[in-house]
Order: sequence, then C-alpha cells, then structure tokens
Amino acid sequence: MNRRGRLLLALALGAGALAGAFALAALLGPNPASLAAALAGVEPDRAILFGLRLPRAFLGALVGAALAASGVALQALLRNPLADPFVLGVSGGAALGGSLVLAASGVLGSAAGLGALAASGSAVALGAAAGAAAATALVFALGRIGGRLVPQAALLVGVVFNAFAAGVVTLLKVMVPPEQAARMLYWLTGAFGYASAGALSAAAALVALALAALVALSGQLNLLALGDEEASSLGVEVARARGAVFLAASLATGAAVALAGMVGFVGLIVPHFLRRAFGPDHRLLVPAAALFGAAFLLVADLAARLAFVVFGSEPPVGALTALAGGPFFLWLLRRSERS
Amino acid sequence: MRTIGKLRALRAVTFLAALLTVQTIEAGEGAARREPEWFGPKPAARPSRVVSLAPSLTDTVVALGLSSRLVGVTRHDVAPQVKDLPRVGGFLDPSPEAVLALRPDLVLWLADSGAWPAVHRIAELGVPVLALPVVGVADVLRTARLVGQALGEPAAGEALSADVERAERRAASLPRRRALLVIGRYPLVVAGPGSYPDALLRLAGGDNVVRGDKPYPVYPLERAVADDPELVIDAAVNERSAGLSGLEAIPAVKAGRVVSLPDDRVLRPGPQLGQALAELLAAVHPEAKAP
Repeated sequence: MNRRGRLLLALALGAGALAGAFALAALLGPNPASLAAALAGVEPDRAILFGLRLPRAFLGALVGAALAASGVALQALLRNPLADPFVLGVSGGAALGGSLVLAASGVLGSAAGLGALAASGSAVALGAAAGAAAATALVFALGRIGGRLVPQAALLVGVVFNAFAAGVVTLLKVMVPPEQAARMLYWLTGAFGYASAGALSAAAALVALALAALVALSGQLNLLALGDEEASSLGVEVARARGAVFLAASLATGAAVALAGMVGFVGLIVPHFLRRAFGPDHRLLVPAAALFGAAFLLVADLAARLAFVVFGSEPPVGALTALAGGPFFLWLLRRSERS
Repeated sequence: MRTIGKLRALRAVTFLAALLTVQTIEAGEGAARREPEWFGPKPAARPSRVVSLAPSLTDTVVALGLSSRLVGVTRHDVAPQVKDLPRVGGFLDPSPEAVLALRPDLVLWLADSGAWPAVHRIAELGVPVLALPVVGVADVLRTARLVGQALGEPAAGEALSADVERAERRAASLPRRRALLVIGRYPLVVAGPGSYPDALLRLAGGDNVVRGDKPYPVYPLERAVADDPELVIDAAVNERSAGLSGLEAIPAVKAGRVVSLPDDRVLRPGPQLGQALAELLAAVHPEAKAP
C-alpha cells in the first residue's frame, strides 16, 4: 500500500476507534441511562448523558490525544521508544508547577484577592504548563553531552527530575494548610473531574494548537529521528525544529496535566502499537496517535467509572493506566535490550 | 528570528492564560467558602428526596428526626437509620452520576473545595445544593437551623441551640477551671485556640491553658508541665491502651486530676454537640450534678 493509502487507513481506523469509544463512554456508566429517554428530554437521563458523560468524554479524549501525540514527538526527538511525557519528567514538572501555584494560593490566602486568584483552576493550569516547559528544557539541556543530545542521558535526567519533583511536592503538602493539601492531593491523583466549560474550551484550544504544530512538524520529525547530523545534512534547522517540537509537546502535556493531573504511560503504550501496525512514518504516527490516544483514554476512564459499581468509589484513571503501563514499560525495556 | 518566534509564542500563551483566569474566577472557583450558600435552582418548600454528601450532615438530618427524607448518603455513613440507602461515593469524591440517578430535590454539601467541581456540576444540572461550611460551634448550630429550614421543619432545627444555651447557663454559675485537652498521645497533640473542642471547653466552663495560633498543635511535654493545668481531659479515645504513662510528668495527672472522655464526640462538629457539651461539663465540674 502506498503512503497516502496507509495514512488514510490509519486515520479512518483511528476516527472509527474514537467514535466507538465516545459512544461507549456516553452510553455506559455505573447508573443505567437511556439515550432515547435523554433525547426525549427525560430527567435524569438527559442530565447524566449530556451534562456529565459527554463533557467528561470530551475531556478524556483531549487528554489522551495530547499525551499520545506528545509521546510520539518526544520519542522521535530522543530516538528512544521509552520516552513519554510521564517518564521524561514533563508531567512531573507540570505537577510541580501546578502544586507551587496551589501552595502559593495558601500562603497568599490572607491577602484574599491574590489567594483566590492563585487558587483558581486556570492559574493552576498556567503553573502546570510553565512547569512542563521548564522540565522539558531542563531534560534536553542536561541530556546533552559535548553539545550532542544523548537520549539515554536525557531519559535519566527525566527520571531523576521526576523523583526530585515528587520530593518537592511532598514537602509542599506538609507546608501548606490541610485544606490546601487535600486539594493538591485530589488534583495530583490523575482523576477526571468536571472542569468548567470555560476551562475545557481554553484547554481544547491549547491542545488543538499544539497538535496542529506537531502535525506540521511531523515531516521534520522523520529526519530528526535519524540523528542531529543526518537531519542537519538533509536541510533541517535542527535547533529550531527541536525547539518548536519541545514547545508544542510541553504545551500539550501541560494542558493535559492541568485538566487531569498525572496520567502516565498513555504516550508510551499508544505510539508503540501504532508503530508496529503502521510503521515508523511520523506524518502518519502523529495524527494517528492523537486519535487512538483519545480512544484509549476514553476506554480506560470508562473502566474507572464502571469500577464505581464494585468499590463504591472511582479509582483515578491514572491508577489504571499505570497498572497497565508499568509492566508494559518493563517489557519494552527488556525487548529493546535484546534487539 | 528565533527570539521573535519565541516571544510571539510566549505572548500567545500569556493571552490564553489570561482568558482562562477571567473565566474561572467568574465561575466562582477557588476562594474558600465561609458562609452557607445555595447553588442551582430554587429549592422546593419541603424537599422529599435529599442526598447528603457528608456523614455529619446525615447525622444532622437524622437528629432532626427527618431521616425518611434521605434517599442517598456517602460510603462513610454508618448511622443505622441510613444503612440501607444507596451510596453516592465519598466525602471528597462524590459521583455526580450516582447523585443525579437518585433524582434528588435537595443536595446537602459540607463545603470543601476538593469536591467543588463535581458539586458545582450537580447544581448546574438542575439540583438545588445547600453548601454548609462547618468548623466551629456556631457553624454546628447554624447548620442544624439551616437544614431544618431547608427541609421545611424550622422548629426542629432550633432544639440544638436550646441545648447549648442551657449548658452555658449552667456553666455560668460554676467556677472556671484551667484545663488541658489531650487529643492524641503519640505525639502529644492538644486542642489549641480556635479548634472545635476549645470552643466546647469554654462553653462548659473551662479555660484552655494552651496559647498560640495553631488549632491542633503537636505539644512539647515540657510545655504541658509548665502550663500546670488544674485538670487534664483525655479525649484520645483511640489511644486508650497507651494509658497515661506518658503524661505523668504533668502535676495534675500525678495528682489524679484527669478525666477520660467516653467517646470522641467533642472532636466532631455535628449534631451530637449537646451530648459532647454534657460530657465536658461533667469532666470540668464533676461536683455539679446534672439537672
């Protein structure tokens, strides 16, 4: 099959998977709700389907698309399939940034206006985006040896930065007042909440912008994946292209963390299966990862919501992706060692 | 060239962030709630399908004798009157879907910013929500009154206030005693100024020896000895097995002027306030017989 055919096939399958996941996410839940009744305006079916499940599915799809596409881009830059926003410390940076803002809101609490401003969801989101960008910059600056980016070094920097960020977040939790600590914990667990329509649409704009940039850069990602010198000799302005990819991937990850806290391994699992199914062309991988990543996280969140029936409480979706992603990461590591 | 590009990107991000900030502040997120507040549509005069999102609010409804109006509670609720009711998640993580499926006409919420997005969504989708911050004694009384009013039974809500006034009147005729109220043994945690037990202690005729601005400070034993309280009240009911061995350096403990409370009612702001006050009054003034 030629490139165009494969691209169309991948996008059609991805769109199909996303549509299917969306339908499942809207129709299934811990409480029975009928679509026919909802369309006829019967309560509480209408409120449950259109007021709760659809906005949450939209949020989940947004986060999944952002994380999976960022994963593909970071893997191309580092020439390593283990790179993922979570593993690389980008999510950790976002968590640290958001937590700093939440903690600051506690300290500023007495100066009422400022405290309220810092505690607002969007200030936290901004902190998360800034933290993600700072962590990315750090990982790529310190992952350089003799002016050249060494993927393994960058990954290690990411792992260490994650541990550092986790330590600082723990310290912040001790320092802030108890009610602020409860908010931080709740946000960090990686649960899909019920973001306001305003926050959701602003995050959607941010993610759409970042995804568009990554799709536009996907041709250069193919060349960057060959190595800096090779890409440079093929006419890519390496530093500039890499900077643009960084910025787009951190924006997407920051928006995702702001919406849903730490959801790990989506950017690892989804790109890996897509590469096996469709090959290494990033012009196909980036948009396909966005579609399949959205579908994947919708299904994972559906599982989390249905778990309410068993536990009487929803486990955060981040716990489920980590449950699947941790072993998967180790398997991938062993496999890449053998080859 | 690159710098210009970066600047432009930065400006775009700043703009988006500003946009986000304006929207969420309008949505009323963030600020801690100190006053009771209604969200969502206007409630019915006598709601009959009530969901309680906190055990203390459930207890309040039960104490008002209105438990038959409840249709859903949290998974933390243990009151026998509600043991067969559907559970709608936890205090920090209520499930809006489970709440809406019960078709409630009133949701009672112990105001706390953690669950705010979920509760806000419930109100947006057409269910009246009464948000009640409960920190001190005044909040407990106000909560009983407001829940009574919201359920269309204002008289039931006034009974608790009468309990408190009665206790205050009794304590007024008795001498005041300087007391240390122990909350936890390892480490030693005591009730400080501004805490709920501190307020109860004052109503019961006791003066807290603890100074400072922390409601529940971890307290150095040396300080407790130096404070030299007339009386030590032991409310660390979960650490009974430890005995009083760690506290014997305090003169009052050595002299046997120590009272162990039978349960942890004085630690939990809720409708058992009346009983909690009676327990404390008996502890501070064992010589005064109950009327």
